Amino acid sequence: MTSPLEVLAAWVWLVPGLPLAVVLVHGARMLAGGARGDAAERLTARLASLAAFGSLLLLGAIDVLAVHADRAPGHLRLGHWFGTGNWEATFSFLLDRLSLTLATVTALIGWLVTRFSANYLHREAGFTRFFIVLGLFLAGMQLVLLAGNGLLAFVGWELCGVASFLLIAYAWQRPVASQNALFAFVTNRGGDAGFLLALGLAAAWLGSFEWTALGNASRISVVNDRLLVTGFVIAALAKSAQLPFSGWISRALEGPTPSSAIFYGAVMVHAGVYLMLRLEPLLLQVPDVMLGLVVVGMLTALYAWLCGLVQTDVKSALIFGVLFQVALMFVEIGLGWTTLALVHVCVHAGWRAWQFLLAPSWLVLTRERPAPPPAWLRNNQVLYTAALNRFWLDKLARTLLVAPTEGFSRDVRGLEQHFIDPAIGQPGRGQPVHPERPLVRVDGAPGRVLGALSELLQRLENRLLLRGRGGAAERWLHRAGSYLRTVEGLLEQPRYLMMAVMATFVVIL
Amino acid sequence: MDDRAPLPFRERLAGWLEALSHVLPAQAPIRDFVHHNTLHGFQHLPFAEALTAAERLTGARCFWPEARFQAAYASGRINDDDLLAALEEVAPADLETSVAGCPVRDLLRASLLIPVEVDAETHLAWADREGLTPADRYWTEAARLVDELSAPASVGDGDWRPAALLRWHALCDRVGRTWTLRSLLDYLSGEDVLESVRTILQRHLASYLDLGVGAWANPHSAAGFYAAWRASAGCDLGWEIDDQHSIRDEICHLPADALDVLAEELARQVPDEDLWPAYLERLALELPGWSGMFLWQAQHRQTGPAIRMADYLAVRIVLERLLSEDVLRRLTGAALSLEELRGYYAVELAEFHVRDAWRQGRLDEALLQQALPLLEADDPAGADDAAWEALAEAVAAQPTASLRRGRTARLAGLLQHLAWPPAAYAALSGEEAGRWLACAEQLTAAQRGEIWLLAYERHYREQLFGALQANRTRSRSAPRPSAQVVMCMDDREEGTRRHLEELAPEIETYGAAGFFGVPMYWQGIDDEAPAALCPVVVTPAHLVREHPASDAEAAAKHARRRSRRLRWRERLYQATRRDPLAGPLLAAAAGLPALVALTAATLAPGWFGNRLKSWRERYEGRGAGTPAVTATAPAAPGDGPQVGFSESEQIERVEGFLRMIGLTEGFAPLVLLLGHGSGSRNNPHLSAYDCGACSGRHGGPNARVFAAMANRPAVRAGLLARGLRIPAETWFVAAEHNTCDDGVEWYDLEAVPAAWQSRLDQLLHQLREACRAHAAERCRRLASAPVRPTPWQGRRHVSGRAHDISQARPELGHATNAAAFIGRRQMSRGLFLDRRVFLVSYDPLTDASGEMAERILLAAGPVGAGIALEYYFSSVDNERFGCGSKVTHNLTGLFGVMEGADSDLRTGLPWQMVEIHEPMRLLVVVEQTPAVLTAVIERQPPLRELIDHAWIVLAACHPDSGALSRYCPRRGWLPWSGSAVLPQVARSADWFAGETDALPPALVLGAAAGTARGAA
Repeated sequence: MTSPLEVLAAWVWLVPGLPLAVVLVHGARMLAGGARGDAAERLTARLASLAAFGSLLLLGAIDVLAVHADRAPGHLRLGHWFGTGNWEATFSFLLDRLSLTLATVTALIGWLVTRFSANYLHREAGFTRFFIVLGLFLAGMQLVLLAGNGLLAFVGWELCGVASFLLIAYAWQRPVASQNALFAFVTNRGGDAGFLLALGLAAAWLGSFEWTALGNASRISVVNDRLLVTGFVIAALAKSAQLPFSGWISRALEGPTPSSAIFYGAVMVHAGVYLMLRLEPLLLQVPDVMLGLVVVGMLTALYAWLCGLVQTDVKSALIFGVLFQVALMFVEIGLGWTTLALVHVCVHAGWRAWQFLLAPSWLVLTRERPAPPPAWLRNNQVLYTAALNRFWLDKLARTLLVAPTEGFSRDVRGLEQHFIDPAIGQPGRGQPVHPERPLVRVDGAPGRVLGALSELLQRLENRLLLRGRGGAAERWLHRAGSYLRTVEGLLEQPRYLMMAVMATFVVIL
Repeated sequence: MDDRAPLPFRERLAGWLEALSHVLPAQAPIRDFVHHNTLHGFQHLPFAEALTAAERLTGARCFWPEARFQAAYASGRINDDDLLAALEEVAPADLETSVAGCPVRDLLRASLLIPVEVDAETHLAWADREGLTPADRYWTEAARLVDELSAPASVGDGDWRPAALLRWHALCDRVGRTWTLRSLLDYLSGEDVLESVRTILQRHLASYLDLGVGAWANPHSAAGFYAAWRASAGCDLGWEIDDQHSIRDEICHLPADALDVLAEELARQVPDEDLWPAYLERLALELPGWSGMFLWQAQHRQTGPAIRMADYLAVRIVLERLLSEDVLRRLTGAALSLEELRGYYAVELAEFHVRDAWRQGRLDEALLQQALPLLEADDPAGADDAAWEALAEAVAAQPTASLRRGRTARLAGLLQHLAWPPAAYAALSGEEAGRWLACAEQLTAAQRGEIWLLAYERHYREQLFGALQANRTRSRSAPRPSAQVVMCMDDREEGTRRHLEELAPEIETYGAAGFFGVPMYWQGIDDEAPAALCPVVVTPAHLVREHPASDAEAAAKHARRRSRRLRWRERLYQATRRDPLAGPLLAAAAGLPALVALTAATLAPGWFGNRLKSWRERYEGRGAGTPAVTATAPAAPGDGPQVGFSESEQIERVEGFLRMIGLTEGFAPLVLLLGHGSGSRNNPHLSAYDCGACSGRHGGPNARVFAAMANRPAVRAGLLARGLRIPAETWFVAAEHNTCDDGVEWYDLEAVPAAWQSRLDQLLHQLREACRAHAAERCRRLASAPVRPTPWQGRRHVSGRAHDISQARPELGHATNAAAFIGRRQMSRGLFLDRRVFLVSYDPLTDASGEMAERILLAAGPVGAGIALEYYFSSVDNERFGCGSKVTHNLTGLFGVMEGADSDLRTGLPWQMVEIHEPMRLLVVVEQTPAVLTAVIERQPPLRELIDHAWIVLAACHPDSGALSRYCPRRGWLPWSGSAVLPQVARSADWFAGETDALPPALVLGAAAGTARGAA
């Protein structure tokens, strides 16, 4: 007999499923032109918060039962997705202490932020759009947290990325907002490349994407292990805005306040930390990578602390505070204190959700100017300038990555325009091959070859067929035609037909 | 270089910088938000002219979009009479004549009703293809007529060179007038150089102007903005990364004095000295929000090193040149001066012609494809002249679009709105139709806007005049009032007063500017520093402190615990964002409580807010105290404000105020002074909802101080000596009305003698009930409120709303303001005015000379005009004059808001505050004779400016006959005659129940039973 815990756990797909379903409903309503005006707003907000609450309720019930039974449901395989002989992708979920804790906190914050936004965004032009993207994000985040394998988590990972892009560009009319959205999106693609690389390697070496399989990866060599982990580490660093990817998060604050709260204050910024915690067994086998995490974390913390000191707007000031503590979490993981890191994530998420949502209250909440930094730092003009410029991270990214890419693409375009296009030819640019036959036009090398071929065939045709009746070809064709007619006549008779069928069978067998 | 100038450069510069305050936003740091006329710098011009000038200077739209007005017309908010009357006032031509058989009046009226669409040819052609073109008979008819008219399609022919050359010179001439060099280069190259440094410049500015967010300021900031910027920009690696090494070198070698830089750069960039002030103005206007805040702090900030506007402009002008040189080099191959650039393109005319066409969007796709490689080329020398020439020829050969479709659309609209019979149109010839079109198109955009605005205002004015007229004839009884309540003149209090009068007809109400004639600095027990509670133009001479009540130990304990609580709160919020050690610990400790608090605040904001308050009070006790109103010693001159008011000053204040509102006899046993303020959560624009007469703060302390003064026997005696007898049976009490949650906080109730207790209980009860009814009325305009709420439900809703951290509209502020009445309450008592009218009490019968009216107008006029005009401009162009939507706002430096983390500083009102506002100028109706008012206007230049320049509309209501007349700056007093029939309802609630939009006035019968004595 199955226990209630197992029954409920089998429904865990509803946690990301409910917000996703509501997203589809909103989308359909928008397409049908129904999601307009105050009345539609109420429905939109109710559905969204109902879905978020449903997820929370389900997770809460699983939590209670799991605590009661003193064991987590663990790895659940709910279905086959796709796969080949060597490897398989599944719909699987992993419900353990780590994922259930974080998913519950996320669901709670998600529900509260959804309720908050219903009032906050009242009568905004992008009201329904906002709730669609928020639903998308909640679904994606829960997939990341609850998925039992890397591939499903990657789907969630990407949903979060897209949602983040869409909400930074919420005020898409402002060029700054859409540029920053693009910047954040592109930077995060760097992390995705790492994730994909790791997944590919896992498929090749382990034949599975399941976290459980990745966890006991002792059968692969340390070198391979290191490569695998590095991919995930890059993904985690990018998502959690650690160095060298830190530039994007301070530019991501263009969306509405609740979205800044849930994405960059409370939830999404911790996704990288979760990924590292999830891969703890794998990490433990490569101490040098863990050391790397400590170093990166410390550097990011230093960066965030210095930059945070010069910030003069509330949201930026808060985001560097967030970055600082997330960097500490990476240090904790690098030192192997994973339980501490887990607790840190949960309390930090709770506090930042509150602090970000109250960002407009800063005038009331604080009374005095914060104390200046120590004197040795206070008078350092160069460090001050660096901090004010956020260590030129986005300019460097532009010069080192974007500009060369642009230059390269310009060169490729030049190459194409000047060499490849004339060589290959373009439609509509053809020149007649023969002045008497203007219908045949060619351009480019393959075109010329084909043109020559058609010229040849044309000549052949002229020579063989069209040069009056009684040409050699005509005679041969007549004879061949009469043979074929005879064969056809014979085949139409039943015995030959049967023979043909039999012959076919023989060949097949 | 100054030999021609009458004054040395520095002095002239000071004058120019001073003049900048006319064009830059003058908004104070947001903590002290006070409503003011957004176009204060243009107030010396007549309204319509000022709007045109502002539009030219800033590019902002100064009237509501025509589509909004047309929608108002369609919904009946504007009717034909209004429109025709407005036409009459503005129309340029003689309306009585006719053109081709049609009266000009009809033509213009019809032309106003034609929807303004995008009438670009491409758009119309697209609409045609998509089948969106209407196929009605007007369209067919119009198409026929336009065909007949056969406008000669202008085809590009002949030589394009002379025209291009003219255009190039015209563009160059704009530099220093409406453009800077950067704008010109932006136009030529499509590359805005400001964009590349805007972000970092904004960070420098925010850090320099910061009032308390940042911890680490520029080490050189004490030496001024220019020095700080130079020190920082000199070691900015960004220049190296961007490959602009020379810029960094130049910055390092700039003169140390900002004024030298300005003198040098101006001479270098703008050869014509006469254009310098305009050029600086342009530079400042490129980031209006930041420039305005810089200027404000330069003029007003008292602490810290001096802030000089010249510093800011020096930085801007240096950046302007350095960055422009970079673009110029890429564009022309050398860092040319403006004159050289003028010469360059006069020669390279073909290139200019193509660029011009490109920026105007005249290049079709094929041409654009050809042009792009040339336009984007990095190396100007590489581009070959022949290619430009060929392209310029091709551009010139493009046929310019015919105007046929646009004309057809306009003519069809005209025919439709003229609404003649079809046969009449059939007889029309193309030529006649052409004359119609010409006549209909003679109105400029500004004129159209003005006509619509006048019509819009007139409609409301007619309703209001009708209501005043109808209300006059009602019979009233006059029992002795049980209480008199003096409230702020605030439009929001109109609702409270009306409900109070409906519930308790025996109560009289008065309205006055909410500082109750007591301008002062106030320092309550819990305040760290005194704050000025008076209109922003007044500097108080007195300071009143609240002293702890008798129990010294309790007070000390309260102060101790309160400061401990605040210290921990401060530590929690500040450390978690920047302290490397305490931050994580505090965040860890606060994480769980924060989640619980967030849950509670989201699910039950009202309950949680009240819980928090009661917990707080249980912990630290209430900071009870009494205001020390009486001066112990006169202040030495120059020693700051005097502490407390002396005896004679108290008598003077009380007498002056009571006489001003006309309360000099017939005192009720209780006189309540009800100040107001607004308490909402999570709202950076908090003080924009507070009392405008108290500099955007709460008016309760003023009421409290006034009541304390008026209750003192010595003051009573002094008043008696001056002929103002307040009977011993009268007691003054004070309270504060929270306009957000409709709660009332009473002051010093324990000091009320027992004899008044029962009456006081009754008044408490009545006011509470009135506030609940008022809350229910407010709910009708709030989408998330219950529909048709009971008073209890209404109160519960607004109370939750006030505590809700997720509410971007805690209340609607002055969004409904539209008019002001200055006169006795009997003029308006019993009218449902929909919380749209400022009500100021004034008794014309005791003021034959108009002195009192003059004082009231001087005080209330600018305040009311400031509120109404700020709402007006923030509504008509929320992007430019307002600050956009609150949802992306980000508090910056404690002085303003940005959108997101990287934008100009946004000034004005957020869209959420003005969303339901009907943008109109304030209509001020004074109960006084036109003759007296004329004299008042003539005596007072500030009033003349407001009224003669039509920034507000003045009307007079004759105290005896009740005849209404409106003041027109051109034609003088125009008597009003209109219909005065008004719907009658038993109670306000019957009129507004279930309605969600603005409502016209109605007669409320319930309130009419009240006293007619008003101020008399």
